[in-house]
Amino acid sequence: MTDNTNDTEHKHSAAQDASQAATQTTASQTKREFHRTGRMTLYVRRFFRRPSAVAGLVLLLILIFFALFGSKIGKWDYEELDFMSLGTPPSADHWLGTTAGGSDLYAMIVRGLGRSLSIGILSSLATTAIAAILGTAIAFFEGWFEKVGMWLLDMLLVVPSFLLIAMIVRSSAGTSGWLWLTFGLTAFGWIGYARVLRTLTMSLRELDYVHAAKFMGVNPFRIIVRHLVPNLGSVLIINTVLGVVGAVGSETSLSFLGLGIKAPDTSLGTLLNEGQSVILTAPWVLIFPSIVLILLTFSVQMIGDGLRDAIDPYSRSGGKAE
Amino acid sequence: MLKYIIKRIVNYAVMLFVAVSMTYFLASAFMDPRSNYMSRHPQPPVESVNRSLDNANINDQTPIIIRYLHWLKNVVTKWDWGLAPDQSPVGPAVASRISASVQLVTIATVLSILIGVSIGVYTAIRQYKWQDRALNVVATFFLVIPPAVLGLFVAFGAIALNNAAGARIFFVTGLHSYEGSNPWLWFVDFLQHIVLPTIVITIPGAVSYHLTQRTYLLDTMNADYVRTARAKGLTLNQAIRKHALRTSLIPTTVNIAFSIASVFTGAVITETVFAINGLGRYFVTTINNNDINGATAIAAFGGVCTLAGALLADILSAWLDPRIRLS
Repeated sequence: MTDNTNDTEHKHSAAQDASQAATQTTASQTKREFHRTGRMTLYVRRFFRRPSAVAGLVLLLILIFFALFGSKIGKWDYEELDFMSLGTPPSADHWLGTTAGGSDLYAMIVRGLGRSLSIGILSSLATTAIAAILGTAIAFFEGWFEKVGMWLLDMLLVVPSFLLIAMIVRSSAGTSGWLWLTFGLTAFGWIGYARVLRTLTMSLRELDYVHAAKFMGVNPFRIIVRHLVPNLGSVLIINTVLGVVGAVGSETSLSFLGLGIKAPDTSLGTLLNEGQSVILTAPWVLIFPSIVLILLTFSVQMIGDGLRDAIDPYSRSGGKAE
Repeated sequence: MLKYIIKRIVNYAVMLFVAVSMTYFLASAFMDPRSNYMSRHPQPPVESVNRSLDNANINDQTPIIIRYLHWLKNVVTKWDWGLAPDQSPVGPAVASRISASVQLVTIATVLSILIGVSIGVYTAIRQYKWQDRALNVVATFFLVIPPAVLGLFVAFGAIALNNAAGARIFFVTGLHSYEGSNPWLWFVDFLQHIVLPTIVITIPGAVSYHLTQRTYLLDTMNADYVRTARAKGLTLNQAIRKHALRTSLIPTTVNIAFSIASVFTGAVITETVFAINGLGRYFVTTINNNDINGATAIAAFGGVCTLAGALLADILSAWLDPRIRLS
């Protein structure tokens, strides 16, 4: 319910921002002969007209680059403990300081960023896939199937999912812990989203070609995958991107509570947990992971808003004619 | 109306039963209370471990279905939610923490509704003006900050402020520390404790009310009946106040009703950061202690809150919105 309304809300401001920023693109195209602008080209152009979206994309790419190759630049490994410098402030040797246990904070952040990113992206993709198929299926089959399906979805929403995820993830430890966490976030993250998609599908299932396919005897699963899910494409893309913000948030919350990623592995939430206990004596352990985390969520949110604006059929990000 | 409400209540009761049972089975499958005893030094003999586990009805050697029926019988007939692995009863532990959670969440919820809805109305009327844009950027920023980061930074700032002032203005742990009988001092002490966690819970709530209320009001502001009201000579402010605003408050009211569920979920992080002994913190304890019965009891409480919110939302929207017909 709120998802829909948020869409429109961002749409308005987004379109305005972008139309102001768009000035320079059209001049070069008027000289060429008329040709049809492809849909993807249109999306890409609209997206890049929006400065905040481009900034978000650049920021995210830098963060991904650091997560992948940051360990090559650093002097220390994240598992390596430097007993000569326990809880030292940032210096030439340890760029971002060390934790109380003597781990190099830079190496820890690079590692933690990679973990948080992969958990966020993987679980967001999986959540969208499950929600898309089940949400549309519930709407498509109608009748008692829909009734039972909706009842089950509502039932699964009764118990706070945070609790159930914590229960599942808690028993897993070691290096496979992050996979369990991804699994937990996916297993209980798709439900509310499937409800939203079901509402959207209710109008799609009345489309003529869906009826036609149905009466031709096309396999229902095929109709769902070929006709219904692609119709939700834009919604799915946007929600996958914004879902990363939510997943990273849940991941850091769980790890912060000590229920998610545990040592020897590390994530940004685990680092926050470590920073909490030394908030007065070694504030850098708290501050640097927090900054990275905010940069991560903020950049993804900017990209999501930009995409929403670009893909929206009523987009006002049209550029200006001269 | 009454028939509708009764139908809803029955439906929700069945839902709650299935959901809580599912949680019980999940908790039993994923939690291992035996490891609590096995990791002790010196390791207790197996018979005594089994006796303790049997006493709390969480022995993994008993078939799960027998344990479940036993647990269900105690809950239904005696309202006994079972024992934690350390043999302390779960029911009173949950009950004693409800008050702390309610104190914390009520103030923050009321504040976030007031602040959020007023900012939402303010920005909707000034759509695309600089005030709207500035507040929108601020809202997006607070929307994406993970709760743990927000909580820790507020605590950090408060400690810095205390140090700068040289006095304890804010307490960063607990809800009460005054033990005398002077009500005024008690109140001041309570304020000193509650301010920081309230800020941390209020900000995300206010931000989401701001964004949703702004959208709802913008949706209704362009509706035909508001244009009619303008055409009949009302000023813009009158038209908004008398016509657009009232309709746009209906979905907000429904959201508020749903927020009852956050008595439990909204405060886990905040309670941990500020060491407040509420339900959220108890939940973390139960998970860490492999406390199957405790976790299920909390799930049940959370479920009751969610469904109470849903029921309230059903009733409120049927009552406020004449477009909804119950029959």
